[in-house]
Amino acid sequence: MVKFLSEEWIEQSKKYMHEKLDPEKDLKNVTTSLLNIIEHVPPNDSTMNFYLELKDGKLTDFVVSTGDTFEKEATYEIRGSYGTYKGIIKGDTNMALALLKNRLKLKGSKIKALKLIKPLDGVIASLRKITDEFEE
Amino acid sequence: MSSKNVIDMEISKNNEAINIAKKGTHCGMCRIDFLGTGLCPAGKKNGYIAYWPQGRMEIFNSLNSGRVKPTKKLLEIVDSCTFCGICDKQCNFTTQLRPQRVHEALKEYAHNLKQNEFQNVPTDEKLKKLQEIVGEKWATNDPIIIASYRRNIVNPDKELNFYVVMPENSKELSEVIKFANTNNLQFMARGGGTLFAMVSSTVMKNAMGLEDGIVIDLLRMKKLEIKPDDLTAVVGAGITAFELQKEAYKHGLRANVAEAGAHICANLASTGICTTWGNTYGWASDNYIDVELVDEEGNIFNHGEMEIKNPYSVEHGLTSLKLSPPGILTEATVKLHPIFEGEEAVLIPFDNLKDALKLSLTLARQDIGLSLAILSRKYLAEFISPTPQIAKDFDYIAKNYMKLNYVVDVICHKNDKKIVEDMVDFTIDKEMMKTLILGSPKLASLKNSEFLKMLSEEENPCKAIFAGPMRKHLERGLEATPENISKIYDEDLQAFFKKIYSKPEMTDIVWLHAFRIFPSRLMRQRMFIPRGGVMWATEKIITDFHNMLKDTGEKHNLENALGYISFLEHGKFAVLEYDYYFDHTDPSVSKNVNNAVIESLERTLSMDGIISDLHFYFKGLHRKEHILYPVPKAINEEEKILFKELIGSVLGGE
Repeated sequence: MVKFLSEEWIEQSKKYMHEKLDPEKDLKNVTTSLLNIIEHVPPNDSTMNFYLELKDGKLTDFVVSTGDTFEKEATYEIRGSYGTYKGIIKGDTNMALALLKNRLKLKGSKIKALKLIKPLDGVIASLRKITDEFEE
Repeated sequence: MSSKNVIDMEISKNNEAINIAKKGTHCGMCRIDFLGTGLCPAGKKNGYIAYWPQGRMEIFNSLNSGRVKPTKKLLEIVDSCTFCGICDKQCNFTTQLRPQRVHEALKEYAHNLKQNEFQNVPTDEKLKKLQEIVGEKWATNDPIIIASYRRNIVNPDKELNFYVVMPENSKELSEVIKFANTNNLQFMARGGGTLFAMVSSTVMKNAMGLEDGIVIDLLRMKKLEIKPDDLTAVVGAGITAFELQKEAYKHGLRANVAEAGAHICANLASTGICTTWGNTYGWASDNYIDVELVDEEGNIFNHGEMEIKNPYSVEHGLTSLKLSPPGILTEATVKLHPIFEGEEAVLIPFDNLKDALKLSLTLARQDIGLSLAILSRKYLAEFISPTPQIAKDFDYIAKNYMKLNYVVDVICHKNDKKIVEDMVDFTIDKEMMKTLILGSPKLASLKNSEFLKMLSEEENPCKAIFAGPMRKHLERGLEATPENISKIYDEDLQAFFKKIYSKPEMTDIVWLHAFRIFPSRLMRQRMFIPRGGVMWATEKIITDFHNMLKDTGEKHNLENALGYISFLEHGKFAVLEYDYYFDHTDPSVSKNVNNAVIESLERTLSMDGIISDLHFYFKGLHRKEHILYPVPKAINEEEKILFKELIGSVLGGE
């Protein structure tokens, strides 16, 4: 198990998604890109970006960076606090619920984003298996 | 020895207290002075739900189920109760419960605990910071206090690792939110807590409750200022519907309010104050002039500011579902309306919904009636009856002897009353309603009488009894006096209730509508979950929607009935509430409730012309025209699949 958003986490996430997630069954052959902007990251209250690109259900890019800007354009941009992402990764809540409760803010077509719910649930479930450590 | 075991040892002795505590519904009526008794002194002084009767019952539940262990705070809470008996009077009126018996059992239990049976509450740096913001007394992480918020904002399945804060003003609230954000704590504001109480034993608890973090209890925001010159009132987030209405009435004015215990600001932000007065007073942003909000970043802003993004428009369709308002509403300047001299109540009974709809749509489109609604037989029975059993008997009599299944219920000026009377064969007037309220126990006792059998043989039993030769027999026979109705209460409360029913307002149907005081309607000893929506007001759409909700309730074996149908926009739109009743103390029924909720929602979305209730929740601050138009269309097959996935994800896929 590794710490959320750490270098090890990036490596293990990529590996897990490549090896364990079936592009068709788990990721519904989806082609999309998603930029998660994670605010209030402890201990310095910083902002981190976590970019994910999928083509036909296969992971093609996975980047984590620090800062308020990110150079890649994503189909969807989701913004939320570290606490919210922590809750999602831990399984205390889920993305759909966090979006409806306004804890996550989505940029991009909502109706198209709805189609991502199932594949995203698969991604998050996989991240849950490698992460149990968070900044406090 | 665990706290659970201690309670178990006393279980036979405490059996009555356990049953009472379980039946508590968090209706919040013990936090408003609706009977003129004054308020619970401990609750008024200490604020937290834990000190109010409803909270003590919830603490008792949590201790009894072993979900919390006692802390020293428990002693302080039980000792704050003076056993003044106010809660017994209030709760007995609304639910027939005696919460004081729970307090007595809780006190005895707490004082019998040994020192080592109290758990320590560890010091906490985050708590200290919260206490710096709101004052030491008004922020806590004590599990005993947190336990009192279970089932009224805290998801009952979750651990009790929360903070509760009670800010006094928007500035403090703003600081709390900023602190929560930098410390990655979730937060949720609490008004009256009844909305969550209704869903807390259903699948919707995951969607609507707080899973961890900070409970923000807004009760301390008690600003209330009536401005008679411009017919407005400024209300803080801690002000209830009853408190506002009481002050407005002193000035000959009326506010558009929903349930008596509902907090005006929370009600405005959640469902937009949807009432039977909506055709005249409006809905959503019609209700207010300005609001002050604190957004999720802690910024304080008003709708009156020129620079803000348009706060009135809303999304439509499937994706417009929201589970939180655009911010925490801390203060609202709401509209008040003049009360006319000699306002009247007219009720027109019907044996079928079609005819009731026809009349009410005609009235709504001609703007007749300040309050206008179709009430079901069950709603009427519960509105006027002092206990659920009497309501049940009244319901039986109305159905089987009177052919009274619906009433069109109109509160209006004198002139409108004449118009209504000219349109129909006969009506039930204000005086007869008073007779029915005070005489309801006697009427219930006539359930299988010869008098009612004779009545049922009449061609039109309602006409015979309310406007015909049998009226005088009914008036005489019901022995409708405060003394007689008071006899249905426990002996020690009879003198009190005789006085209560002697007050003119307690039998004044206009006053009861305006203040929303009903003895056995509001979350009596079991729960109900309202389903419904706003729809384009044609007879077909309303009837199809009603029948769908009925059919779904029947399919899932839930007791069900129409609540009410009211109108908006000069009768162009209708609001329909249909209720599924269930016993929240019986976990085995929750599956049926869940299935009925999800199925009724899916079927609503498949119908033309209807906005489901879940799709207008948390849009109360928006402009009603933006919510209502364009008139919605049924979703397509692809959207249905997406919706199922969304609901599965949000509600846990049960």
